[in-house]
Amino acid sequence: MSALDRLPSGRGDRALIAGVACLLVGGLFALTPLQAQLPSALYVFVEVGITFVIYGMLVLGLDLQYGHTGLVNFGHVVFFAVGAYATAMLAAQDSFAGTALGYPWPLALLVGVVAAALLGLVVSATSIRLRDDFLAIVTLATAEIFHSVFVNFEGVFGGNVGILGVPRPIAGVVGDADTRMIATILVIGGITLITLAAVTRLTEAPYGRVLRAIRADELVTRSVGKSTIVYKTQAFVYGAALAGLAGGLFALYNGAVAPGFFTIQVTVTIWIGMLLGGAANHRAVLAGLAIIMGLRLVSRFGLSVTPVSGDVFAAFRLVVVGLILIAVIRFRPAGIWGDPQELGVDQ
Amino acid sequence: MSLLSAEGLVKDFGGLRAIDGLSVSIDEGELVGVMGPNGAGKSTFFNCVSGVIPPDEGSVTLDGTDVTGDPPESLAHRGLVRTFQDTRELETMTVRDNVRLAAPDQPGERTLPALLRSDSMTREEEAVRRRAEELIETFELDHLADEYSSNLSGGQRKLLELARTLMLDPDVLMLDEPFAGVNPTLTREIADRILDLNAEGMTVVIIEHELETLTELVDRLVVLQQGRLLVEGEPEAVLEDERVIEAYLGGDAE
Repeated sequence: MSALDRLPSGRGDRALIAGVACLLVGGLFALTPLQAQLPSALYVFVEVGITFVIYGMLVLGLDLQYGHTGLVNFGHVVFFAVGAYATAMLAAQDSFAGTALGYPWPLALLVGVVAAALLGLVVSATSIRLRDDFLAIVTLATAEIFHSVFVNFEGVFGGNVGILGVPRPIAGVVGDADTRMIATILVIGGITLITLAAVTRLTEAPYGRVLRAIRADELVTRSVGKSTIVYKTQAFVYGAALAGLAGGLFALYNGAVAPGFFTIQVTVTIWIGMLLGGAANHRAVLAGLAIIMGLRLVSRFGLSVTPVSGDVFAAFRLVVVGLILIAVIRFRPAGIWGDPQELGVDQ
Repeated sequence: MSLLSAEGLVKDFGGLRAIDGLSVSIDEGELVGVMGPNGAGKSTFFNCVSGVIPPDEGSVTLDGTDVTGDPPESLAHRGLVRTFQDTRELETMTVRDNVRLAAPDQPGERTLPALLRSDSMTREEEAVRRRAEELIETFELDHLADEYSSNLSGGQRKLLELARTLMLDPDVLMLDEPFAGVNPTLTREIADRILDLNAEGMTVVIIEHELETLTELVDRLVVLQQGRLLVEGEPEAVLEDERVIEAYLGGDAE
């Protein structure tokens, strides 16, 4: 094989290069006296941007499960929450309530990912052989159970207050607020881009072909010799692990976790983003997520130009965003960039 | 020695006994036809043998190994592959991907080689591509290679299903109504391919309603009725058998 063949090519590798570049620049801001200035008007955009790159890992994981393999997971937030709580409880130095073990944060992050993956393994071991709709119910129920556990077991999980005092590695080394925001979005964004590269490689390989075949017809896929249970379990566990990684990073960025961060609203946002952009297309699901989060953000600014009260405006905003989504699904049922034939959606 | 044998298979669906103590044995290199009126248990027999549903009683032996109740994926690894009565294409995939999918034991189907884009994956995938292109060309589907298989006609789907099956290079090929809904020219073409494969040593079992084509094609006919073996033997003799005539013409209308 010539050197030319080894050069990075394709979308997956561009994402990998961009991800590593983001990490390096982010690291530069974090570890050197270099400072960034952020105009105050842009502050909210960067803040939502950080949430976007964290949710980006969630949507990429969900797309691996649903878009590529056809596994319906209505409880995606639970893996995000378990990753966040495990990381927070292990790394927290001193929490107001709940567990704070004070381990080094890299170890805590690793445990967070493993915990989410293990929960994914347990859920798939019990439910992945069942029909799609049962998996949907089981995942939804799992998310609700964990939410109740986090709220009610105050001694362990800190109840509604959650776990405080989680170390914030970037905030720990960057004093200046603007630089901290920039470094954070670059580092987490870099990890999201590397995630994008990884899932792209996975789905462009013969591995992805098997996943798509399972989505199309599991019995046929088994009849040509593929152990579909193994692939379904893997896809589910990988998606859960990615959500756990997102959760761990969220805890280490936010410095605290609480049940309020992990409501069904997160799952709903991720699902809308995926379906809006077009399932089974990594960049489309990220774009779809950007659209739904962007719509919600931009519509906030409408309050200053409308002659109504905040409450009325908030309700109105939901209606408008909802109508836009209905219009998209009406005219592009496979999502904006989704391929209707690949997704088997009638136009 | 028989390559594939079913002994005393029984399968109930609720109160209905679909097959009832059925024993069939198939020798290596044979080309066997399975026929019988609707509801005779042909497809259930196929499903039990190919691992799609486990039999309630009885055993299935493949090449000397007891494979009763083994799942389809494990039987595919052992060299037994089947097609389905209602062509089951992976409609949301292209013709090309349908065929490539069936390539066995691909390194690129495992996580690490896929993530690392290993040399073994690239090399094997290249071989798979070549083999798939050959098959697609043999079955004259090359002009449709990039089409989603949902866009194919019924006959083209049958061809695609056959091409996909052959990607596995099976020892035993079980075809469930390969000529149903296929025009006469294409029927002839598929029949010729089956004969070629059998001449190369592949053991083939066919369920078919299209009696004329079936009797021309096979070495031996097995006739089922109400889940039991009615008659088996050379096609000419079987078709003249009174019990068969009775089952098809004198029994319940189809």
